[in-house]
Amino acid sequence: MRRGFKRTKFRTYPSGWFFTGLMACFFLFCGLTHSFENQKPTPYTLRYPANFGGRYTIPEDNPITKEGVYLGRLLFYEKKLSAGNSISCESCHLQKLAFTDGKALSQGADGSLTTRSAMSLANLLWVRNFFWDGRSPNLEQQAAFPLTNVHEMGQPLTESVAKLRQTALYPPLFKAAFGSDIITRDYILKALAQFERTLISSDSRYDRYLAGTYPPTAQELRGMALFQNAPNPQKLIRGANCEHCHGGVKTFKELFHNNGLDSTFSDNGRQNFTNQVEDKGRFRVPTLRNIMLTAPYMHDGRFQRIEQVLDHYNEHILESATLSSFLRDVSNETNGKKLMLTKSEKTDIISFLSMLTDSAFITNPEFSNPHLTLKSQ
Amino acid sequence: MSRFTLHVRISLWLLLFSLGLSVSGFSQNTSTLTITGEVTTPLDLTLQKLSAFKQVSQKVKDRDGKEHEFKGVALIELLEKAGVTTGSKLRGENLAKYVLIKAADGYEVIYSLAEIDPEFASQVIILAIEKDGQPLPAGEGPFRIITPNDKKPARWIREVRSIKVAFAKD
Repeated sequence: MRRGFKRTKFRTYPSGWFFTGLMACFFLFCGLTHSFENQKPTPYTLRYPANFGGRYTIPEDNPITKEGVYLGRLLFYEKKLSAGNSISCESCHLQKLAFTDGKALSQGADGSLTTRSAMSLANLLWVRNFFWDGRSPNLEQQAAFPLTNVHEMGQPLTESVAKLRQTALYPPLFKAAFGSDIITRDYILKALAQFERTLISSDSRYDRYLAGTYPPTAQELRGMALFQNAPNPQKLIRGANCEHCHGGVKTFKELFHNNGLDSTFSDNGRQNFTNQVEDKGRFRVPTLRNIMLTAPYMHDGRFQRIEQVLDHYNEHILESATLSSFLRDVSNETNGKKLMLTKSEKTDIISFLSMLTDSAFITNPEFSNPHLTLKSQ
Repeated sequence: MSRFTLHVRISLWLLLFSLGLSVSGFSQNTSTLTITGEVTTPLDLTLQKLSAFKQVSQKVKDRDGKEHEFKGVALIELLEKAGVTTGSKLRGENLAKYVLIKAADGYEVIYSLAEIDPEFASQVIILAIEKDGQPLPAGEGPFRIITPNDKKPARWIREVRSIKVAFAKD
């Protein structure tokens, strides 16, 4: 009877320890889910040398976060964002080629060719006007063009959204990055922009030289001087005047120039965007970072080799109404009309340009295709 | 009487319409210069509109090492027209204003507002439209800033397309 009572008591009134444990589990569980739901993405710290300067703008509504960057990286390599799941951003922007594709013009999802050459994606954080004609003021707006252009990835963003919503992979990643697992057009563009802002190339031999840790060869130093100097035959200063437009540690200035490739234009360049005649045949001054990896050159990829580029600036500038005044009558000889660099001087300049190759950038695992590691897991 | 009014009305409309056409045709071929930002009246200027301002000229040595006579309008006059805080109003927080000038090719330079104001500076910065009696050539004009006391002409910005007054916000 006593034992039975005891048993009954045990069944009816579980011990205080049991209750406490149960309650603790409950609160712990609530706390976990609660903190998971409100978990803020982790800020991403951009790292670059101080001499790159801080003149860049990150939109207030799209701060860079680790979760956003990772999602953007997955999307950069995601073929579902193209018509017929045929290509991704990578198809025209391969990391090993400093995010170019080695082609004059690139083939889109429909098999047609783009009208201009794929640009390198290095140090976009500092770019203020995207594309060869500068039509986009930020990466969020920029990304919509190649995604939807029929000659490129050729898929409406609404369709990309629908495709990603059907996956198991993406909704939680959007939730982690933006706090909502309802995938939208804007989140896709924002994530891509976040990833692209992290593509910083700042560890070339030139950077190491600037940091005092790489002693350049005599040829590299000669090339650097020619690259930097404006020619002044009176003062016996020889130069190629490259720095006038490609100056500074980033090797581009936010400029649009007609660099004398043509005298009549099949592509009016920046004029198409501004509708101002002064902009006819003007194109963006691109970065020269990793230039030895990003052939072919110019907005239409007309030059296969860097030597042809040097020859162009040295000997083949074509006159037109909008030709850059910095390319007119600039010469190493008194009253000369052309640059008049010697063959060995051109080789020296190419030797300097090779210093801009950043092998850490093109092999950085944080920029590589993350789907490959996902599959192997 | 009513037929007469109708005639007048129609011809007035036609006149307005053709004027509108010619103006729009004109503006397509004419470069404009905007003054925006911390102004009371944003301005959209053309060569024609600039000719209504008082013309000043300066003889200065340009990049080519030769002396040229640049003619145009004092930049301060344009800023005053736009209602920028100049003269007696250029004090307090207004001293933290700068003027960002952009060129057609994307080139940009800044001046502090005080640098342009004659109560601070002894020089007159001009928005030039002529050089040696001729309109500024392509690639240089139609508008160019001339800052006589700047020894290096890097801020003598060519092909000026916009002038923006802003507060330094750091």
